Amino acid sequence: MLMCKGLAEIASDYIDDELTGRQNLSVKMHLMMCRHCRTFIGNLRASTDLLKVHSSGHGNEELIRKIDERVAEALNARTSEDGVRE
Amino acid sequence: MDTSVQPDTESSLIEDLKKGNATAYKHAVREYSPGMLAVARFYMDQSGAEEIVQDCWVTVIGAIQKFEGRSGLKTWLHRIVANRCKNKLRATNREVSTDFSENLDPELASRFKSNGRWSLPPKLIFHESADTLMENEALSDCLDKHLSTLPETQRSALMLYEAHQHKSEDVCNILDVSASNLRVLLHRGRQKIFLMVETFQETGEC
Repeated sequence: MLMCKGLAEIASDYIDDELTGRQNLSVKMHLMMCRHCRTFIGNLRASTDLLKVHSSGHGNEELIRKIDERVAEALNARTSEDGVRE
Repeated sequence: MDTSVQPDTESSLIEDLKKGNATAYKHAVREYSPGMLAVARFYMDQSGAEEIVQDCWVTVIGAIQKFEGRSGLKTWLHRIVANRCKNKLRATNREVSTDFSENLDPELASRFKSNGRWSLPPKLIFHESADTLMENEALSDCLDKHLSTLPETQRSALMLYEAHQHKSEDVCNILDVSASNLRVLLHRGRQKIFLMVETFQETGEC
């Protein structure tokens, strides 16, 4: 029988729908009987969602500036090469 | 929330990149560099990773001409970064070492009794939506802090899978990990974030 600790070990696989049918069924049965694990799964899912929202707008401004410079240099170099070829 | 570029927008972006359009590059650099950095950080330290991402963008200017769209632009860019990192590691004979043996975070594992039931179950339910939670600046800073202390392998896997919404198969290819090892990295990373949010919700402290 699946215990709480065993469920915690495979919780991400449950969230991502990566369990076998049998495992999935035993998680669902356990969740029906155990409110602590229901809270755990809900909170783990919420934490994962947080990451999706949090990281989407994040960048490293100094790095972006450096990349812009290097890209601009490389594009200019290409344009001048094309000019010479023509 | 999916922030990825939509397919029709992506194909016009690719055309503009092929033409060498500077504005298109500025847009693409902002859109894709955070993910490229997450890939590079899997393999090397911050300064090495930043250097790789810069070099890759210069490479992209020429290589984009040969891009045929068999994969998405993001996946293609991430593969360029991963390949460059792997070549560099090969040249210096370094390898990425990771512990895939434990699926449960030690702190979480200590909250169970020997019979496998909870001894310290989660008390609070995270009711608010992720968007509402992230309006709390202190929580957002706390998340940043904890993300920065995660082992690189866990952080990169989380970033690519959650934040950049890659499929498992792509993450495995990009990071050169097996599907089962990716599952361990994701689960370990998520547990850390769960423990962090729980402490923050209970105590208001990071």
